[in-house]
Amino acid sequence: METLQPLLNGFAVALRSDVLMYCVIGCLWGTIVGVLPGLGPLAGLTLLLPLTYQLEPTAAIVMLAGIFYGAMYGGSTTSILVRIPGEAASIMTAIDGHEMARKGRAGPALVVAAIGSFIGGTLSVVGLMLFAPPLAKLMLQVGPAAEFGLMLLALLVLCFVSGGPALKTLMMVLAGLLIATVGVDLITAHPRFTFGSLQFVNGINFVALALGLFGVSEILLNLEDIARVKVIKPALRTLVPRMQDLKDSAPAIGRGTVIGFIFGFIPGISHVISTFVSYAVERKLSKAPETFGTGRIEAVAGPETANNATTGSSMIPLLVLGIPAIPATAILLSALQIHGVQPGPQLVSEHPNVFWGLIASMYIGNLVLLVLNLPLVGLFVNLLRIPYAYLAPTVLLVSMIGIYSVNSNATDILIMAVSGLVGYVLRKGKFDPAPLLLAVVLGDRMEVSLRRALTISDGDWWILLQGAMSKIFLGAVVLLVCLQLAASYLGFRRKDMKEN
Amino acid sequence: MTRLKRGAAAALAALCILPAAFAQEKYPSRPIELVIPTAAGGGTDISLRVLAELVEPLLGQKVVVVNKPGGGGTLGMAQVVQARPDGYTIGGLWNAPLTMTPHMLPAPYKVSDYSAVSLVTSSPTVMCVKSAFPAADGKAFIEELRKNPGKYTYGNDGVGGTIQLAAERVFTKLGVKARPIPFAGAGETLKAFLGGHVDIYGGSIPPIMPYVKDKSARCVMVTSAERNSSVPDAAGLADLGAPEEATVLWRGIIAPLKLPADRLAILQKAFASAAQSDKFREFMLKRGEEAKGSSSAEFRNLIDSEYEAMGKVMAAIGLTKK
Repeated sequence: METLQPLLNGFAVALRSDVLMYCVIGCLWGTIVGVLPGLGPLAGLTLLLPLTYQLEPTAAIVMLAGIFYGAMYGGSTTSILVRIPGEAASIMTAIDGHEMARKGRAGPALVVAAIGSFIGGTLSVVGLMLFAPPLAKLMLQVGPAAEFGLMLLALLVLCFVSGGPALKTLMMVLAGLLIATVGVDLITAHPRFTFGSLQFVNGINFVALALGLFGVSEILLNLEDIARVKVIKPALRTLVPRMQDLKDSAPAIGRGTVIGFIFGFIPGISHVISTFVSYAVERKLSKAPETFGTGRIEAVAGPETANNATTGSSMIPLLVLGIPAIPATAILLSALQIHGVQPGPQLVSEHPNVFWGLIASMYIGNLVLLVLNLPLVGLFVNLLRIPYAYLAPTVLLVSMIGIYSVNSNATDILIMAVSGLVGYVLRKGKFDPAPLLLAVVLGDRMEVSLRRALTISDGDWWILLQGAMSKIFLGAVVLLVCLQLAASYLGFRRKDMKEN
Repeated sequence: MTRLKRGAAAALAALCILPAAFAQEKYPSRPIELVIPTAAGGGTDISLRVLAELVEPLLGQKVVVVNKPGGGGTLGMAQVVQARPDGYTIGGLWNAPLTMTPHMLPAPYKVSDYSAVSLVTSSPTVMCVKSAFPAADGKAFIEELRKNPGKYTYGNDGVGGTIQLAAERVFTKLGVKARPIPFAGAGETLKAFLGGHVDIYGGSIPPIMPYVKDKSARCVMVTSAERNSSVPDAAGLADLGAPEEATVLWRGIIAPLKLPADRLAILQKAFASAAQSDKFREFMLKRGEEAKGSSSAEFRNLIDSEYEAMGKVMAAIGLTKK
């Protein structure tokens, strides 16, 4: 009950007409950058950051937070309509979401994505409000050694539950890990695999890679057989999800919320990882895992919920400790620092309006986004009436502009084009590019945390088993490997018996 | 047909007049592009964007910020060095791409390839320890490091970055050794420090302040010669007997080498007075930094002396390119 009074005060702040207006502006702008491929929450935040210099800190943080979680709503749109991810956290949505659109069910996919986003986003604010301090303490226990264990665990989970043939998945993962090594070595500052070019010193641009592998490759595949791509004429009847759709999505939304909230604590890449995990879990728990990839509504609902559920938990380290765990919250931190507000243990007592105003605004913002996004479904679905030959190149052009505008670097467009070709070849060979992208995201951090841990211990590998968190994560890794080995051994036995 | 001819004639005339107009044109007569070689939203970007806004009325022109990250800042820096020296493309950056990264990566420019306009901000790196650390002040801290060479670890914002090099420069001079652990920015360093995974926090002042206030952390030294008013108990390098080894994180404005002297003077005057304005001073103070606004010559001296000092430090710790 003791949280109720300050929360009510927070609502009083968040409902002030100016704060409310900035909240709506933030949500609206977030949706726009989320919808536009190539532009993600980060680009959206940095574009509007200069505007906040003139605002008071509460209005500034409320608007910027709105952009951050608003972008998670918009990302699904182009993923579903044309299979070009609106931002990195909507890669997994593209797989089944677009298949649904092909079957004329873009409406239900978009509606379920919006509802899942709303539920995930709202519940994660509840989590943020109730459990922030203890969770922040727990987070500090995860040092470089434990972080390595966590990354290894995430990679193994995703390999084991990935649907494709094990060998192909493994090849994709290894290719991803190799791509992750490009760039300056973060421990010795030596440039690796850059061929003497300064362009690759910071590594391969992940968003460009993802847009190429998923979006450009899709367009190339469609070029082969342009007659196959029919113009989808959605009727009003098909816009609304059926009762069965909601029944199928509900458990996925519940699981997505939990997964997103937990994975929100992973530094750097939480919103992307959470969608991969959610997709994998839905497939593993499904009675018909082989139908994933053909337009399952759970495969849209889960990941889209998960990426929104990360927003609450990834705010926790920022607000409680003053530590930005992901790039988007780093910008929120600068916005507060500009106004002389330093987040940390004293934030709640020194600036209650900022803290509780922000929490209250996140409840309001999620509601605003739901109200904003549901009517847009009708508009977006009607975009499909545009013949593919016009729609796809337009989206492609927008993504090229988006990707260029972030770094003003033409190499990023080149990366997108080349990975589009690679993605085309991979998909012709029935290779799934998703594990590759995941390995790129995870590989970088996995290597750095391992080498950081070993630098701290001066080369002593036992550091990986020191501390409770390291033991938990590595214990889970061992358990998982044993279970998998046992399962495959028993599986082989069963198959042998059948053949005999 | 006649219209076409007239158009062609006009174009031809314009072509003839253009070089003459260029020579006599009042500078600046169109927007100036300020290239910032880092992603938008970081410390350098925010400080310089605010400064750009304050410079606009002084120059009477828009200053358009273009972010060009990559290559540790060398990509954007190269764009400025290679730009036309007409004063419409200038660069705003922190020390690393000028005095540090070129020792490490094959940067396509030398330290003498650009003009220094003005040094606009500076902020020291602070070294802090947990309250249980067996050293109460800066002198005791250095003694503790001297007694235990290589025992303690300090977090910093990346290998070959300002914080590591500022610390190594002092440690080398004083003959002590601590092990650097590179993190991606002050946030990660702070997390590892609070969780007890590294012994010493090395970074900017604002992130650590809440923990200095609640007495769980204690700042023992800064890397500027003088003490800093936000952490008055931390020793300055003058207190430790090495004031000449000061390295701070600074930001400045540079321009292509062959920029005419009169234009350089216009830019210097505008940026220096914007940096010295009350508004900018107050803004930087809130971020725990100091507003400057130096002359071109002062800035040039700083770049040259720091470039040389960094070359030595980086060679000593094995960071220079092979």
